[in-house]
Amino acid sequence: MNNSSHKRGCEPDLRSLLKNQHKVVYSICRFFAHNYQEHQRLFVNIIAAASQNIRSRKDHSADKQTLLLRACINMAALHSISLDMAPAQDRTIQFKSTDYHQSMTKFRESMGEISDLEKFRLFMQLERVAPGDMSGITGLDAGNLYARRRKERETTQGRTLIPYLKATLLWN
Amino acid sequence: MELKRLLQFWETFPEVSMEERPVLSSDLEKIVVKNPLSDAFYVRKKLLLRIAVIALLWLVNSWQLRGQWKTNGSDLYVTAALFLLLSFSLYFHTRLVFFADYPTLLALPLVDFLTKLEAILDKYIISFKLISAMAGFYLLKGIEALLYAFSRNAYDSVSSNDWYKWLILIFLSVSSDILLLHTLVPRYRRLQASVTKYRDGILAKATDK
Repeated sequence: MNNSSHKRGCEPDLRSLLKNQHKVVYSICRFFAHNYQEHQRLFVNIIAAASQNIRSRKDHSADKQTLLLRACINMAALHSISLDMAPAQDRTIQFKSTDYHQSMTKFRESMGEISDLEKFRLFMQLERVAPGDMSGITGLDAGNLYARRRKERETTQGRTLIPYLKATLLWN
Repeated sequence: MELKRLLQFWETFPEVSMEERPVLSSDLEKIVVKNPLSDAFYVRKKLLLRIAVIALLWLVNSWQLRGQWKTNGSDLYVTAALFLLLSFSLYFHTRLVFFADYPTLLALPLVDFLTKLEAILDKYIISFKLISAMAGFYLLKGIEALLYAFSRNAYDSVSSNDWYKWLILIFLSVSSDILLLHTLVPRYRRLQASVTKYRDGILAKATDK
């Protein structure tokens, strides 16, 4: 799984950014991890994703903070998908530290059964992300357009060959 | 709970105990060199391995095609068809590696990331069709070699009749495809369906609001 053996470790500024911002990663783990193992795995994956994002960004269109938040949300989504696919998982909160366990239980109870999108939105609000920046992290404005375009494509696909060829030849 | 109260609660949320805290500081360097995508989501290594094998087969096949062309051999059409198939497979797999662009994949916004992940899995599933077709060609060669070793008459009748060859080739390719459809492909189909369902769920929620 080592995909960057030519660059072992990370640059000092990236390392210090991750050290300073690691609480953001803890925060998203509170929404998605049910126990210590999940918490640790998700944390490590997000840190790896964030460092990969920041190190390999081609242009400077997105700042480091945005890339870190995208890593948090994307990895949490993958974590959620993996959990859904896993056969009958124990979803009860289990942490060794009593204090943390109680807080997590209380937090989950007060949050209730909300969708992942709402969790992401709540996470960004609690992390004080500006409302204007939220769509840049979730891509939901573009997503809505995509959904509409997809529906249109599906309705026209049966009638003409061109949209089908387009979809086959152009990967997007 | 209103956002205000939740925010207040959030501020006082205790830290994870030292015992349960994921490694930081000194171990951070070890963490960042690992790829964050799990095996099922990360097909880059498999694609690179396939590209290497196909490139090798392509080189061998080009040499064989050259020989068949010069001597006007009986396998010219089969070798030429395999050459075209290998060339297309090489292009398809290389294009998929560049399209996936794993280092920047996780930097995309959530919906774009899920859409791209779905497209990668879709193309990866399609690539199994190419593998089946290639398997058909190489299994045919294997059968010919076996017949040559054990039953020379049967070998002569197969190699002298193009119809037999193409029919066996189609049968083997379809059989390989069915085998892959029931062994390797379902895992990726399930994964793709989960990604699609998740993305559609997010979009539906966003559209509702």
